[in-house]
Amino acid sequence: MHIQQHPVLGGQLQKPVTIYFNDQPYKAYEQQTVAAALMANDIKRLGLSRNLVQPRGLFCTRGRCCSCYMTVNGEDHVRTCMVKVEEGMKIYPNDEDPDVRREFCGD
Amino acid sequence: MDKSTIICRCEEISYEEIEDVLTNGATTFDDLKRLTRCGMGPCQSKICHSLVADMIHEKTNTPYFQIPLPRMRMPLSPIKLETLATNSTSFSSVKSVMDEVELEDGKVR
Amino acid sequence: METDILIIGAGPAGLAAAFETASKGLDVTIVDESLTMGGQLNQQTQVIPSLPSSFQSMRGFEWAAHLTNQLKEYDIRYLLSHRVIGFYKDGSVGITDEQEVFAVKAKKIIVATGAAENAVAFPKWTLPGVMTIGAAQTLINRDFVQPGKEAVIVGSSDFALDAALQLSEVGVHVKGFIEKNAGILSRDLEKIEQVKKIGIPIHLDSFIKEARGIGAVEEIDIQIGTRVFTEKVDLVCVDGGRSPILDIFYQLGCSFGYQKELGGWVPQYNHQFQTDREDIFLAGNAAGISTQGVLLVTGMLAGINACEAVGAITKTIADEEKDFLWKELEILETKYNPTIWEARNRHMENFAYPVIKEQFLS
Repeated sequence: MHIQQHPVLGGQLQKPVTIYFNDQPYKAYEQQTVAAALMANDIKRLGLSRNLVQPRGLFCTRGRCCSCYMTVNGEDHVRTCMVKVEEGMKIYPNDEDPDVRREFCGD
Repeated sequence: MDKSTIICRCEEISYEEIEDVLTNGATTFDDLKRLTRCGMGPCQSKICHSLVADMIHEKTNTPYFQIPLPRMRMPLSPIKLETLATNSTSFSSVKSVMDEVELEDGKVR
Repeated sequence: METDILIIGAGPAGLAAAFETASKGLDVTIVDESLTMGGQLNQQTQVIPSLPSSFQSMRGFEWAAHLTNQLKEYDIRYLLSHRVIGFYKDGSVGITDEQEVFAVKAKKIIVATGAAENAVAFPKWTLPGVMTIGAAQTLINRDFVQPGKEAVIVGSSDFALDAALQLSEVGVHVKGFIEKNAGILSRDLEKIEQVKKIGIPIHLDSFIKEARGIGAVEEIDIQIGTRVFTEKVDLVCVDGGRSPILDIFYQLGCSFGYQKELGGWVPQYNHQFQTDREDIFLAGNAAGISTQGVLLVTGMLAGINACEAVGAITKTIADEEKDFLWKELEILETKYNPTIWEARNRHMENFAYPVIKEQFLS
């Protein structure tokens, strides 16, 4: 849930943006980080662990734990607690190791 | 503590796995890294180091001041290789790797 | 890029050091990973109790703004959203803006990297919805997001109490504190009273036996003595205490000493807040976990010492300012927790007998 009226800071959320998680639109506000905006929309499972395939989500919000890794606008392993939302941002969970991308040069 | 508890979130190393290595003679975090991969995931032991120090303290009766810090290597936090390799002329280890990459029209072949 | 003073970290200590150095006419560069200055003060909405005598009492974010504003008249280079990723052989600092890495060569470096929260482990603490108290505070006060409806707090420090009160204020039902020790860790009687007043139970000698949930935490088993009961929660905030962030010191080859009261391993430093690498100074929580007012004073001291070291001020002027600040530091630190002041002095005395560096080589 977004906090529209903060008890100390008042109404701070002004510029809404639309972000897409798994191609579904969600409402976020400009000053929020990706992980926080998803949590406001009740999306807490941001990825799966590599070995035991268990859910992972926001843990430290300081860019240290890497628990909030997601794929953002085509880039894998983005620490989503350190990146602000942008209009139209496309976000996917970090559910498995990405394929190694390779550009083929003709042959 | 329940032995299945995860201590290292990144590499998913359990209390039991660390306990096992400690009872078999490991004494430092670096020993644990080599034997279990504990602390070798993306966070580079930023989250588990205090939990591991507690375990070493409990299991081996080592006072905290004798439990060395885990080694902290460059880069200090995750960074894209592409970014790391910029301006690499004065940074020989990256340059030496990048020099081995064959480029064709600016793309990795 | 070249600069006189590079300050790593734009929290209270870093900003105080910036003021001291920039106001003496030095060329100052500040680097910080976040977009805003003020560090963790930005999400502190509580009134900071421990400010030096010259300050009126204010809330954390107000203080961040104050420290930022007092730098306005100086021409300081701000590298926000930049992070230090390592050091070059010649001593220059490798900094990235996520596009490229560049070297910054500084005459003196002041490291004010602050503290990191320690984790608390229990079965399934890796579930989403389990986070540090600092994370919860950041979500509600910086991102304006309510991280859950029903919460428990693991720990009972001042910091944990603040987080619980602030969570309650934004409508989170805080169902209890789970403290493993036999007594409450916080010494702030007023805050404890506040917590009790709004009816948050404090469970002592207790711990989380297990967390459960599909995709996120849904319930936890709390054990108190031999009694176990289940609580429905969608937010678990853990407070494992804080430790200095050391990776930069480690990269620089600084030596460390262990002081439990200062947060564990702390870089060795002398009365000049100078590490065993003479071009490296330190300040704030990186020099030992303490209260906010102390962080500010250590930042000022590190700044003045760096000024003296590069010849921007004379020894006489520096000594005069430092005498005053050391007195202030002693008053502030002994007022809230005299054991920290004693540990700090012990730590500085140990500077002459550093812990062998070899113990870190393996």
